[in-house]
Amino acid sequence: MARLRDQLVGFIAALRAAGLRISVAESIDAMNAVAAVGLARAPMHEALAAALVKDEADRAIFDESFDRFFAAPRASRGEHPDHRGEQVSAASGRPGEEPPVRAAALASRRDEKSLAPPLQAKPAKKSTAARSHGAEKEKNGEEGRDARRLSDRMRDRQEQREQPPPEESTTPGIDATRVARIRAIERTAFDEFSDLDYDEARDALAPLIRRFRIRLGRRLRLARTGRIDFRRTIRAALQRGGTLIDVNFRARRPRHVDLVILADISGSVRYAAQLMLELMAGARGCFRRVSSFVYVDHLAEADFEDGHLVMTPALDLYARSDFGRVLGELWQRRTGLLRRGTIVVIMGDGRNNRLPARADLVREIARACRAVVWLNPEDPARWGTGDSAIKQYAREVNALVPSRNLRELQAALAAIA
Amino acid sequence: MDVTREQISDGLKRAKYVTNERVETAIFLALALEKPLLIEGPAGAGKTEVAKVLAEILHTELIRLQCYEGLDEARALYEWNYQKQLLRMQAGEQEGLRWEELSEHVFSRDYLLERPLLRAITAPSRAVLLIDEIDKADEEFEAFLLELLSDFQVSVPELGTLKAHERPVVILTSNRARELSEALRRRCLHLFIDFPGIEQERKIIELKVPELDAKLAAEAARFVSAIRKLGLRKPPSIAETLDWARALVRLGVRELDTDAVRTALSVLLKHEDDRARVESKASALAPRTR
Repeated sequence: MARLRDQLVGFIAALRAAGLRISVAESIDAMNAVAAVGLARAPMHEALAAALVKDEADRAIFDESFDRFFAAPRASRGEHPDHRGEQVSAASGRPGEEPPVRAAALASRRDEKSLAPPLQAKPAKKSTAARSHGAEKEKNGEEGRDARRLSDRMRDRQEQREQPPPEESTTPGIDATRVARIRAIERTAFDEFSDLDYDEARDALAPLIRRFRIRLGRRLRLARTGRIDFRRTIRAALQRGGTLIDVNFRARRPRHVDLVILADISGSVRYAAQLMLELMAGARGCFRRVSSFVYVDHLAEADFEDGHLVMTPALDLYARSDFGRVLGELWQRRTGLLRRGTIVVIMGDGRNNRLPARADLVREIARACRAVVWLNPEDPARWGTGDSAIKQYAREVNALVPSRNLRELQAALAAIA
Repeated sequence: MDVTREQISDGLKRAKYVTNERVETAIFLALALEKPLLIEGPAGAGKTEVAKVLAEILHTELIRLQCYEGLDEARALYEWNYQKQLLRMQAGEQEGLRWEELSEHVFSRDYLLERPLLRAITAPSRAVLLIDEIDKADEEFEAFLLELLSDFQVSVPELGTLKAHERPVVILTSNRARELSEALRRRCLHLFIDFPGIEQERKIIELKVPELDAKLAAEAARFVSAIRKLGLRKPPSIAETLDWARALVRLGVRELDTDAVRTALSVLLKHEDDRARVESKASALAPRTR
């Protein structure tokens, strides 16, 4: 049994490395559960799931890990001959060592990945990048070629994302480096991001979204303190001979917060913007209504489909940022969008290419709404230098928060609610 | 507690609860490990039913606590019966009792209103405690529940500590109206119950509405499964499917064609826009068109 215990410990470690949060108490539960149901594969699978998977969203990861962990090697031992047939059939392969074909395939996949040039061109897919690519096709010259190269890279990145994640190794174990990488990426400044960092950050995002949602739910909940319901309090007191024993509070109502998000997706801030939009998309349930927009020189509605940013209409990513014009467009659409309860979140560096900043519109918007919060992914030391108009905007917004990395971004967003 | 998987499996069958291995294993573990079982899933997929069936299998009482926003300890655990205490005190004054005698009397179990949680703890035999829709309760209540679920004892200042003779079987259900805390999840076993598949639902219909023609039951199961995929505002629950099946029997429907589907649709769908949507697609969805 000691070996089984070790194996279970290893399995739990692998699950933790894959992002599941499993406490010591839960791992003890898992042991007890296996002891209770026995070693037949199917019941053991369900028993471990009941003890370890506390969120249905994690179930797929669990199933995959389970198949990897309790496949062929377990059948070889045959501790329980009566279950053996079942185990072998479920393990899909000969009992004993890892099927050589699969191992070879894995090895070759690994090689392929390490050898493949990072910017290898691949056939086009209908995606955000492809759509904006279409818009860029009209342009000629240096700028157009640059844009095409970028959209190739974006497409390539998306291709990589669509591929199933490569299995790290055939012998599962703790992947301590992954956790360390996530920690590191949370602290990496957005302006030092590369495409690779961005992919990694998106990896780190899933648990972040969950934590963020829980935190946000708690904040919204704490924020609504009830008022005393005088009538009910007196009526309760009358039942008790007029003594005020119970104080009744008015039923709490959920806060009606509408959120309007404006995110700059040009140049250096686009990583920050996309990560923020994705984070907010995950927390959508905490607000009454969330309207997301992205902008460069125009405003476009943003939406997430299967984790990809989709904008309508498509924007020219290489146009000159013009936030003044974007503000004008937003102001024109204000009916139904900007209300007393709305919080406007703007993500951008406020670098406006010396075009009119229209800070007066920000003032108007702030007056119409509950608050305007500006998140700036740029280093505060550089605010107001060069073509940055952030100082002008800073006077009109309710809060200007630096959000240079994922950690700061998350804290800033949680503070808004 | 000594139960075997087979006993659970037989019990579920006898109680006419059609299910799969996942549910069986989870129920068995909840009993074997004496752990609370947290059940999540869409509304109307049979979460609450698990607790009812379990009480039936174990031949014990089902104690149900329906959660709602603002639920507090007084409603969930216990409360002193103030009116009765007042009456007693007034009567006592006339008898000329002193305060010491009175207070001893007034703060006894007779004057305690036991709410579901305390009832489950003080039950003479092992009870099934169903904490329904825990996601609707406040976070403070959830935190309070954590303490209770780990020790199964309550201290009433005037009476002392009350401890469970036998730990009740605890089932919690959630529709995910909000995220439950990690701490609560950690302490529970977890089970996700989704809507049944076509075959499973057909079995349920045949078991619960035996009057319905077997062929029609299969068609009904297929139809319901298809409209659940339409992304309606409120997809039909199993209970509504059964109501619908009964309605079909009453209406004397022989074949599930477009007209038959239209006439009884209000049993299945409870939103006007859902109904309009299904009606517009009725001819495509109905197994047989005339």
